Amino acid sequence: MTDEICINEELLKESLEDVTVIINGSRYPAKKGEIMLQVAIREGIEIPHLCYDASLSPYGACRLCMVEKKCRGGNEMVTSCTLRAEDGLDIVTDSPEILRHRQMILELYLAEAPKSEVIKSLAARYGVTKTRFFKKVDKTDPLGNKCVLCGLCVRVCNEIMGAGAISFVNRGPYTVVSTPFLSENPSCMGCKACVSVCPTHAIETEDSGDERIMRSWNETKVKLTKCPVCGGYYAPDMLSKKVYEKINPPLAKSVQEMCPKCRSRNIADKEISASSQR
Amino acid sequence: MITELPAGIIRRQNSGLKKLKPDIPRITVGLATCGAAVGGTAIYERLHEAVQKRGLKISLVPTGCIGYCREEPIVTIAHPKKPLVLLHRVSEDDVDDILDAVLSGTVPFGKALCRIEEWDHLMGHNITYGHGFEEIPLYCDIPFFGQQQKVILRNTGIINPEDIDEYLAVGGYSAASDALLNMSPDTVLEEVENSGLRGRGGAGFPAGLKWRITKEKKSDKKYIICNADEGDPGAYMNRNEMESDPHMLIEGMILGAYAIGTEEGLIYIRAEYPLAIFRLKHAIAEARGCGILGKNIFGTDFSFDIKIATGAGAFVCGESTALVASIEGRTGRPHPRPPRLTDSGLWGKPTDLNNVETWCNVPVIIKNGSEWYRNIGAEKNSGTKVFSLVGDVEKVGLVEVPLGTTLKKIVLDIGDGGADGKAVKAVQTGGPSGGCIPLRLFDTTVDFESLNAIGSIMGSGGIVVMDEDTNMVDIARYFISFATGESCGKCIPCREGLKHTLILLNKILGGKGTAEDLNTLKSLSETIAKTSLCGLGQTAPNPVLTTLDYFREEYDALVKL
Repeated sequence: MTDEICINEELLKESLEDVTVIINGSRYPAKKGEIMLQVAIREGIEIPHLCYDASLSPYGACRLCMVEKKCRGGNEMVTSCTLRAEDGLDIVTDSPEILRHRQMILELYLAEAPKSEVIKSLAARYGVTKTRFFKKVDKTDPLGNKCVLCGLCVRVCNEIMGAGAISFVNRGPYTVVSTPFLSENPSCMGCKACVSVCPTHAIETEDSGDERIMRSWNETKVKLTKCPVCGGYYAPDMLSKKVYEKINPPLAKSVQEMCPKCRSRNIADKEISASSQR
Repeated sequence: MITELPAGIIRRQNSGLKKLKPDIPRITVGLATCGAAVGGTAIYERLHEAVQKRGLKISLVPTGCIGYCREEPIVTIAHPKKPLVLLHRVSEDDVDDILDAVLSGTVPFGKALCRIEEWDHLMGHNITYGHGFEEIPLYCDIPFFGQQQKVILRNTGIINPEDIDEYLAVGGYSAASDALLNMSPDTVLEEVENSGLRGRGGAGFPAGLKWRITKEKKSDKKYIICNADEGDPGAYMNRNEMESDPHMLIEGMILGAYAIGTEEGLIYIRAEYPLAIFRLKHAIAEARGCGILGKNIFGTDFSFDIKIATGAGAFVCGESTALVASIEGRTGRPHPRPPRLTDSGLWGKPTDLNNVETWCNVPVIIKNGSEWYRNIGAEKNSGTKVFSLVGDVEKVGLVEVPLGTTLKKIVLDIGDGGADGKAVKAVQTGGPSGGCIPLRLFDTTVDFESLNAIGSIMGSGGIVVMDEDTNMVDIARYFISFATGESCGKCIPCREGLKHTLILLNKILGGKGTAEDLNTLKSLSETIAKTSLCGLGQTAPNPVLTTLDYFREEYDALVKL
């Protein structure tokens, strides 16, 4: 294994210091330490990406957001989701070399997630409409042959929800995202944060009666809370409990148990009757 | 201020000298993994049994490997005031002959490989054995040995790796004591910087600079780590360094810790090296017992200790960020750098990570000075490098030469060319991610820059020789198959790209490839090399790219043009 290291990496965190960065020859304002992909998104400069989310730790795995960073010794290809702004930083997002590698990576994604419409249209934007590589089609894949292993679901489950219900299983080309031992996982709260961050809409769930079934996570079943007013099921029990524990001062139990719709109606009704009496 | 060594250590030094040159004959058996694998253990046990049972006045000790693995098991005999004689290809059946000869004051000439009259351990301690047995060739007249320069391997196969006394007797720990007693940490650091020592793990980053970056980081705690996750197929330099001379690594780490300013060191070693782990643990315990590790080393204010962390066999855990993840109990997957370990390493603290051999270079630099060291090797590539010369080569073994030595000298002169008289076709340097270099480029010097220029890498020092019968496309497939299996699966170029490279190579080897496939193979390899997250993926396509460059005709012959 090689092990390399370079100097000159002082800045790791975003600061309040204003700096100017150069993207494709134009100058843009940024905060020192800000993630360059974020700067590009803000300025409307298109850089494709699958594994980045501003609320999660940078991961650098999808390799689509690679840009050319101008250095003294020539150009260096780096992921813009891990590259931090510093004054005078000069990057190019669409050089012929970047485009060439981006197209090749998109071809690999087309083979890895052949059923994903998101990947197909993303690839098409960069002129890639078919792949030379052997397509991975597995009819039993719980993620519907759409997963690109960007790790957003794993990170949101760990970092934001604190559940750690899913992770990577196996390694190399055999890597999949799943629950431990590929079986139902009681740690899963059924919050669907994974579903909301998945860039390729690969994760399947289904609400059925008082249960939410996390189809992609080995049919993990989660109980849903029933609204005492309308009788509808609206959120997983575990999630509700976790949220209510954090509300301080606590809500009145009668309000707490209501679904959001009934609750807002309840509050609105109270407001209306209060103002009518005024 | 203390300026002298504690009396206990001086006593052990003297005891070690008596062990190396006892008043009675001394027999050693090479018991590194290579020696043990070909019967060394049984020979040792037979000798031990005879010496015990018959109450023979013979000192019998295990040693490590002297590097000539092809000639193992190697047994040495040293009669008082006589040269140290190396016996080669010894078997259990030779034990009685050996004992008979030794008891009558001679050696079994039929088994003798060479003799050593004097040995320079480079730490201010020469050991003079004596003259005699002149019909046995001298060590330096054996082509395999004579063309090497032993710096790192100066003690291997000669001293007992399980006895700190012998290491002390050949000048061991005198660099550490000189430094701790008489040098400031800054002076030690400057010496290493001036020596030009570059990391021996593969990338060749200046070791002194890495130390300085770690030293200058402000933190309540810092760590140094030794990367002993040697996993390249066919490479075993580090294994032998740890099995044959574990104290040299410990001494190097003490010096590094002193220069950087830390009290905690770790050795991350793969679990597949049980003997190295055992000997390191034993050596650490011995060093602690002598006050060389632990609180107040040599009676000074400086304290330092080493712990051992074992890996679970993933190749990618040799990559720095994955290595730290593995130590911390997380999955061994690399993360993008920055942050580098020197910023945020083990447990988020500044960490200096160096390869086994890098640490092993430090004692001799501090003892003899940076100028002495810079005179070995080539411009910007100072020092020696240990290579494991394996594959279809006549003389398999560990070879230590100055950096800047040509491939020709290593493979054709020291290694004596292809095995069984076959012609050498190519070599692969740098492990599975190195490139295949054809015979016509054997004038290339082995240094970091020259190897990069021809599409290969230094890596940690494996040299795999391939003879005329080798199919280079198949070689590429073998290495890609290895890298695919060891990919952690985090980033797509490595995870999917290598898999498709393997599929393409299988297709080509199956006679179903097309010229178009060759183009795809090349451009896919370029993308993997350019866009992978860590060093594994970035270098994994090298065997494909170099064989496509240098052995294109073999690919063309397989595809339908």
